[in-house]
Order: sequence, then C-alpha cells, then structure tokens
Amino acid sequence: MEYKVEAHRIMSISLGKIYNSRVQRGGIKLHKNLLVSLVLRSARQVYLSDYYGGVCVRSPHAGGVEWGEGDQMDSDGSRSTPDEHGGESALVSDDSVRIPEVSVNGPAAAVEGQDIEDLAPGSDYNCQQSPQEDVGSVKTEGSGSAETGGPGSGSEHCVSRSENSQQGSAEVTATCCTRKRGAERSASAGSPVKRPKATAVPALPPVGGEGEGPEDMDTGNVSSLITIFGSSFSGLLSKEGAQPATDSEDSDSGKICCEQMLPNLNPWSTAIVAF
Amino acid sequence: MKNQNSKYADIISTVEFNATGELLATGDKGGRVVVFQREQESKNQPHRRGEYNVYSTFQSHEPEFDYLKSLEIEEKINKIRWLPQQNAAYFLLSTNDKTVKLWKISERDKRPEGYNLKDEDGRIRDPTTITALRVPVLRPMDLMVEATARRIFANGHTYHINSISVNSDYETYMSTDDLRINLWNLEITNRSFNIVDIKPANMEDLTEVITAAEFHPSHCNTFVYSSSKGSVRLCDMRASALCDNHCKFFEEPEDPNNRSFFSEIISSISDVKFSHNGRYLMTRDYLTVKVWDLNMENKPLETYQVHDYLRSKLCSLYENDCIFDKFECVWNGSDSVIMTGSYNNFFRMFDRNTKRDVTLEASRENSKPRAILKPRKVCVGGKRRKDEISVDSLDFSKKILHTAWHPSENIIAVAATNNLYIFQDKVN
Repeated sequence: MEYKVEAHRIMSISLGKIYNSRVQRGGIKLHKNLLVSLVLRSARQVYLSDYYGGVCVRSPHAGGVEWGEGDQMDSDGSRSTPDEHGGESALVSDDSVRIPEVSVNGPAAAVEGQDIEDLAPGSDYNCQQSPQEDVGSVKTEGSGSAETGGPGSGSEHCVSRSENSQQGSAEVTATCCTRKRGAERSASAGSPVKRPKATAVPALPPVGGEGEGPEDMDTGNVSSLITIFGSSFSGLLSKEGAQPATDSEDSDSGKICCEQMLPNLNPWSTAIVAF
Repeated sequence: MKNQNSKYADIISTVEFNATGELLATGDKGGRVVVFQREQESKNQPHRRGEYNVYSTFQSHEPEFDYLKSLEIEEKINKIRWLPQQNAAYFLLSTNDKTVKLWKISERDKRPEGYNLKDEDGRIRDPTTITALRVPVLRPMDLMVEATARRIFANGHTYHINSISVNSDYETYMSTDDLRINLWNLEITNRSFNIVDIKPANMEDLTEVITAAEFHPSHCNTFVYSSSKGSVRLCDMRASALCDNHCKFFEEPEDPNNRSFFSEIISSISDVKFSHNGRYLMTRDYLTVKVWDLNMENKPLETYQVHDYLRSKLCSLYENDCIFDKFECVWNGSDSVIMTGSYNNFFRMFDRNTKRDVTLEASRENSKPRAILKPRKVCVGGKRRKDEISVDSLDFSKKILHTAWHPSENIIAVAATNNLYIFQDKVN
C-alpha cells in the first residue's frame, strides 16, 4: 500500500503548489499549473484505484515511489485525446481511458482476483461486492446526493456484475471500468461539468473517513485544502446546485459508477478550471 | 567575468550574442539589460584575444500592475533577440511576460558646444547679455552609449510571453505566449496578427500549452513551436493566415518502461532551436536533448542524456520545484556541437560527430582566468572516485538554464544564477 501513501503525498504536494501559485508574484503560471494538475490527476488515479479493490493496480515495482503499474499503462500511448469524450474535462476523460488498459492485463488477473476477495466484504465500491450481498446497500464513496439513483438501479448494476464475475476478475474490472467510461461518455453528452460540482466539497471528507486509520490525518489535510478551494468557488458551486436534483433522477445504472467517481474527480477539475 | 551581489533581481534570465558575436546581451530578473562588447584584438597584447567588457546597461522593463486583474506583472526579462545591424546603431528586442520592446543602442562621442542661449552648464543665459551670435561646433567627448526605447509592443498577450523570434525578412518578428503566437511588424506597435491559437473553447479542455517558438533561419515563411506534451509543430505561413494546422509534427512516442507520475512534466519541451543551416531542430526536455531532422517526424535523429541520474529523483525534484526548470540549448556555429545546462553549475557539450560529451563546471572556485576547464563527472552509484561528485551532493540551487554560443567562434557565455562566465578556446 505504499503506493497509495505515496500517491496521497504527491496529491497533497500538488494541491499545495496550486494553492501557492495563486499568491505568487507575476500571476498564475498556466504552464506550471497544467503540469501540476496532470501529476495530481495521475496521483489521484492511483490513490483511488484502491477503491476498485486493488484490481486496477499491480504491486509496485522495486523502484518504490514510482507508479508501480507504469509499464502496463497506456500501452497505446499516453497521448489519448479528450476529443473522443466530447466536452468533458480532459482530466476526467483521460482517466477513463487509462483504467481499462491496466485492468485487462493477463498476468495480473490472479493477483487481482485475490484482491477482490480480500476487499469485497469491506469494499467501498459497490461494484466489487459479491452478488450475495445486499445490493441495495449501495455504499458509495461519499457522494451523498449522487447515490439517489436508487438501490434499484444499483442492484441492476451489481447483478450484471455478478454474471461477469464468473468470467474472471480481470473482466469484472474491465466491465466496471468500461461501464464507467461509458457512463462518463454519456454523461458528457449532457452537462457533465455542472452535475458533480455541487457534491464536490462534501464528497471528500467521507472519503477520508473511509480510509484506514493512519491515513485519516493525511486526507484531512487534503480535505481542508479542497474546502479552501470550495469556499473560493462558492459562487460557482451554488450556481450548479440546482442541477444534481434533476440529474440524479436518471435511472441509468451505469451512471452509478459515474456518480461515485465524478465527485472525487471534479474537486480537482474545479480547482484547476478556476485558473 | 561579471560579479554581482546575490540578490533575486541580479539573477540572469537570458543570454544572447548578436549576429556577429561582437555584442553579448544579458537580461536579469530585475528588468535590466547589460550589453558586453568584445574589445578589438590588439597587436600589443596578443594573448588578450578580444575580451568582453560592459558596453551598456539600461533598465528595460519595470514592474507593472494590471489593475483589472489585480496582478503584478514581473519585470523579469524572459528573452532578448538581436536584430541584424543595418547602421551604426544596434537594435535588440527584449521582452517580459507581457510587453516586447525594441531598444536602440547607439554611441555618442561628440557633443555640441557654443550654444547661444545657454552656457556650458546648461543654464539659460540672460538674453540681455548676449551681444553676438556664434555657431555651435561639435567637439569630441568621452564615449557615451545610450539606449533608447524605439518601439513598445504592448497589449498583445493575455498569457505570459515565453519566446520572441526575429524573422529572416528582418521586417517581422513573432512573440509567443502559452496559448497564442502573434506576428508583429517591427515598425507597427498598435497591431499584431495572431498566427497560432491553441486556446480551447472551454478552458477545462486544456491539455497542452506552447512552450517555445522560433522562425526558420532562412525560410521566412516557416516557424516551429514546441508544446508541453513533448511535440514540435512546423508551420508554413503561406498555407493560411491562422497556422493552427501544422505542416509537420515531430513527436517521439513515450517509452512505456519509463512511465511515472512525472512523465508528462519531464517530456515538456523547454526550448527549441533551429540549427544554423536550417536542416535540423534541437529540443530540450527535462532529461534529454534531441536533434531532429526536419524530414523525419516520427523520431529524433539523435538523443543525448543530459543528466539521466535524476530520473530516480523525480519525486524530490517535483517537491522542490526543480522539475519545472526550463533549460535552454544552443548550437555552435557549425552545428557540430550542442550545449545545454544542468545543476551544480554544470553544463554539458555533445559533439555530434565524435559522439563525445563533456561536463564542465562554471564556478569561480574551479576556474581562474585563463585556466583550462577541467571536465567533471557525476558518480551515479557504486564507488565514487576522487574528483567525482555523487548525485546526492549536487547543489540544485545552482542551475545553468541559459547559455549562448558565439555565432562563428568557440566562445561561450554561461549564466550561473547571478554570474556570467565567458569561456574561449585556448589560444595556441
């Protein structure tokens, strides 16, 4: 789990840099902030990949602090353009492209299967729950308003997952992630940017709470930084507040995954957009 | 060698020889420009082979405040580019984040004496005391070098200017910021043409910025610009007014084995330079210098590792912001050797023909005037030999970002924080 701690540390550092850039002389430097936001996104992805039950992440290499699954990622090149994902933020769409490529790696399947079973009982992500569990308890990553999609749609989602699970854990993850990508693609057709923003600020503290004990303090720092951002963009957030009420009525089961991920993705998107 | 007190304002931010190599200009973070001139070689002192002395110093840019955005505009000189000499005066362009200025540097060695209405001190004479008229005459005086701002090209850029490049037509130049490139006529300050615009309609879709741009040395219609994603685009201004569509796209696919959190940062190109003959391009990213053939877009001709031992330290370099340092790179006059800077006041030269490289250090402790520079070596692991430096003892606050090479001779200028070092080939 060192990679998760490392990823979290890099996330905190990155957020600190973005925050400091606002008070730097000469104004905000677009280039540097863009690069920092790319690092932030990469680190966040590694950090959150744990919520997929670790299936998306291989054990880190001996190199330690570097991104462990690096050599499996982006096998078709890291230059995936956001164009294919419509108007959604490049930060968001790039994520969805990456994850599937990682998860379908053959050699890792055995490891991944192990991880799923280990994490299924306590898994934060409903997609990893075994089919026998109460699918109605859609335990999300703290996206309070986003889960009003309803247990009905959640169960539909998980039932289809259980069918896939017999085919192998790798495919489960692939389906899960592909579905997330599909969800985001459909979400981007609408007004994707607006919907998750309202949940941006409240989304994070629960994430921190779900983490293991030693990490609680770390995520608290991140949460407070996000809150600082949130308060600065309060005008933006309140404007979008009307949206989630209507959007959450969508019964598209795929959007459950999307809604769980997006609140975590978009606080940072929000932060960067403001620059 | 020039020596200044260690202050932020004295940190040199750009170095540039003029087209003949007679003049060397430096800009610093305090907005000042210092121009050095090579003294004429004299038969009396043949061993003093044309040293550079201060010729002119002037304040090019002042700090400004943008009241609309509540932002301070730094006076730091980002780039200086010389114009070719057309008369006795010298002209250069200097730019900060927002404004480009054309400076005229001229000599005055005569002054008029014998005015009728004022005396030698400049005080107005009492007209009633004037009884005769005289014609003022020019008398020699001590040489005075003056710099005057002839053009101010303002309000052309929303984002920070990172490059300027003079066209080979000597009539136009371009200025580049993070998202746009503008073409200016040197005579006209109130209008510029936008030739590249990569700003997305929705800023949330922003994935790359422009990091540098340069005109081709002889084809006045061709220019290149580099991006933060590690690609270079070559554009032809004859194709369309807005050169958003490139003619050539130079990019090397990323090595998946080297993937890390920081892959994107280290692939961002910090400098791009045409070779003097116009057939090659050189790009500098954080760890390498690459030479590209203009006719081959999919991979570089040559790749040189500048300081690959830093690859395992990227996380620390990210924390201390060193990973964002923008190193420049230069060609020698014959395009056979390339040079770029590193940390610990080291700079590296790569001979493209012999494939040999050397690491040298610019520091007062290690070099006395007319002493020969000793090659340095960084120990990357295992036993450290005497004279080698281990990676962990490198001083990352001593970085050489800006260097320049004389257009025809083996004279180099190396800016080490607030000191300028000028090295010449040994005289036989």
